[in-house]
Amino acid sequence: MVKGKLAGKKLILLGERDGIPGPVMEACLKDSGAEIVFSVTECFV
Amino acid sequence: MDLQNQQRVKDVVEKYGVENVIVILGSSDPEGAEIYAETVTNGDPTYAGPLAGVPLGLAVYHIFEPEIREEIDPAVWEEQMEMMEMVLDPEALSQAVAKMREQYSKYTLE
Repeated sequence: MVKGKLAGKKLILLGERDGIPGPVMEACLKDSGAEIVFSVTECFV
Repeated sequence: MDLQNQQRVKDVVEKYGVENVIVILGSSDPEGAEIYAETVTNGDPTYAGPLAGVPLGLAVYHIFEPEIREEIDPAVWEEQMEMMEMVLDPEALSQAVAKMREQYSKYTLE
């Protein structure tokens, strides 16, 4: 499913353990037409 | 933001060009989201990392913002995001990131 605005873009996903983790954002955006070039999950302890 | 991750962001921008890169945040609290958004637009506000004094001006969004949400399959959203949408404060998170973007981003999703 390629819809538009993100098509062809490079995505940096800065996830958070207590919010939306990187892999969840990856699952959401993998069909956006954009390439995920960096995805990470930070945590604050 | 973690110093190593600041470097990774910098490297990605150098490799692909600032106009081609979109940063999407999954932060849980508005203050944290604001700091992340500031770091990738105006530079590291703590002056500790590789992005200190480096105003990249990247397009940055929280995943809850409509511009990003409308690009995601509703079925996938429901499966992956619905629970967190109820637990977190999407409105406050969106506003925090939008505020920084309007102030410092040189690029937006159009």
